[in-house]
Amino acid sequence: MTDEMLNPPLSRLKSNRRGASFRRHGLLAIGGFLVALVFIAALLAPVLAPYSPYDLDVPSMLQAPSAAHWLGTDELGRDVLSRTIYAAQISVQVALTAVCVGLVGGTLIGVVAAYFGELVDALLMRLMELLFSFPAILLAIILMASLGTSILNAMIAIGIIFIPGFARLARAATRDVLRQQYVEAARAIGMSDFRILAREILPNVAAPLLVEAAVAFAYAVLLESALSFLGLGAQPPYASWGNMLNTGRGFLAQAPWLGIVPGMALFMSVLGFNLVGDGLRDLLDPHLRD
Amino acid sequence: MVCAICSIRIFGIEMLETVPTPSARPAATLEIEGLTIEFRARGRVQRVVDRVNLRIAPGEIVGLIGESGSGKTLTALSVLGLLPRGARIRSGLIRLSGTSLLDLSEDEWRAIRGDRVAFIPQDALRALNPVFPIGLQVGEPLNIHRGTPWQIAKHKAIELLRSVHLRDAEERAEEYPHQFSGGMQQRAMVAMGLALEPQLLIADEPTTALDVTVQAQVLKLLREIRDAHGTSILFITHDLGVVADLCDRVYVMYAGLGIEEGSVEHIFYRPSHPYTQALLRATPTIRAVEKELVSIPGQIPSPDNLPTGCRFADRCPVAFERCGEEPPPFQVGGGHLARCWRCATPQ
Repeated sequence: MTDEMLNPPLSRLKSNRRGASFRRHGLLAIGGFLVALVFIAALLAPVLAPYSPYDLDVPSMLQAPSAAHWLGTDELGRDVLSRTIYAAQISVQVALTAVCVGLVGGTLIGVVAAYFGELVDALLMRLMELLFSFPAILLAIILMASLGTSILNAMIAIGIIFIPGFARLARAATRDVLRQQYVEAARAIGMSDFRILAREILPNVAAPLLVEAAVAFAYAVLLESALSFLGLGAQPPYASWGNMLNTGRGFLAQAPWLGIVPGMALFMSVLGFNLVGDGLRDLLDPHLRD
Repeated sequence: MVCAICSIRIFGIEMLETVPTPSARPAATLEIEGLTIEFRARGRVQRVVDRVNLRIAPGEIVGLIGESGSGKTLTALSVLGLLPRGARIRSGLIRLSGTSLLDLSEDEWRAIRGDRVAFIPQDALRALNPVFPIGLQVGEPLNIHRGTPWQIAKHKAIELLRSVHLRDAEERAEEYPHQFSGGMQQRAMVAMGLALEPQLLIADEPTTALDVTVQAQVLKLLREIRDAHGTSILFITHDLGVVADLCDRVYVMYAGLGIEEGSVEHIFYRPSHPYTQALLRATPTIRAVEKELVSIPGQIPSPDNLPTGCRFADRCPVAFERCGEEPPPFQVGGGHLARCWRCATPQ
């Protein structure tokens, strides 16, 4: 190691810190912007979309982007921009529900397993490992096959996939909190188990779980698209980035925008949720705090 | 006939009362008799607290001294029914103002913790929940035990914080534990302990983490509390200076066994057990600056491998043959007991 590596000049330390600060707050801002775009599109779809996403206009099918149709039209003459905006609704709806199912179910299982320990812990965690042992997309297909194909079932299936991850994280965080003296102090003032779980443990395990939720959100958007791409999620005529991609696949040569536009939308939203997750982790991690 | 039986029974009680047995003295706040706690780890049983007796009268401050591993904290936790997993009370009695605690259900224990017995831990920062403001936490026992609504509990918490001499209590109640200094955190813990005016306050080395001036303030506060409310205090520590300053009576524990008990004057001016004497010599004092500090050679025996005789024998400078047998507690005089063969005969 050179001397400079061991003792970097002050200026470089400062620029490193600025770099770290950008990595933390700049990337979080970019992620936040992308996430905000997705949410605005989902909430204000009827206002923002220039056309109805369902109205057929066969004469003007497969038109290239123009002043009338900014992102072109699909094989049935529907406006691609409008469908992309409406598809954000499905993505946000599915991701929100799935993450809630995973977060609530996983936290409950993880916290209970860690708090009561022993047999309860062993049984619950073996069950989680069983779920974990399936590849996510395969598990989703199995669940969809048994539940039936509908967007509601897609939400539930994706949520179930998230449960083991949240459960493990919640269990580890709870075990950590249980070693803290404030839990013992809570017992010493006569708190009941339920109250200790609600007031001492849950608030103190929330931070890592929220970070995981943001990252899971990205994954949920991706999984929903994958299921819709396979025809197991959103059913026509509802627009989802996944089924739009599937349609676009058949017209890649004549109308590349049919694939590119939903693909970009998917890419940007997944990137956005991941950046927000990373940013939140850094922001909430006391070790990285200035 | 009935009258005759009654009179006999009355006579019997009178007879008992004339005999100075511990149970005939005025009801103590806390009575521990023959408490034995065992740990079960990997199939082995370790006896970590052995036949400990302890008595605290109303309004009395009692010190429990011992080095780490002497069983003093386990003894205290057993009074709250909060022994760690694996630890079990093998035999003995714990009575709080006459009611036996050991056959209570978990719900009954919960009703006592924080209400009749309060606990002040060593490290106040780590004992406060980092995500809630201090005021909320100080008022929490009221909500738990009396169902006091939060709004009222908060006002009461501010009063409590004022009573432990916290300045600007109203604003401070809104702050979080990490915004408090060590002394303020400990005061907040004391305030929380006092919320329901418990009969007994158990303080587990509450001043160890504080610097000396703050330590003195906390000790003064504990004395004030005793004087104002008649609260009994069990003060666990390894700091002899604090004990001399604060306590009325002292119990010394060594390797799970109570080896000496007596008033502060007895323990400090006429320590009888060689371990207590050694502890006092190992404590720095201003007058002893020129003298060399004496450390006690050897280590506290492991509960796996306790000697059959006196537990201090292999570190004791005055041990003799008889120390191979375990000594009973001998009366040194005036409620002063020491478990040492040297006390059996005039030295």
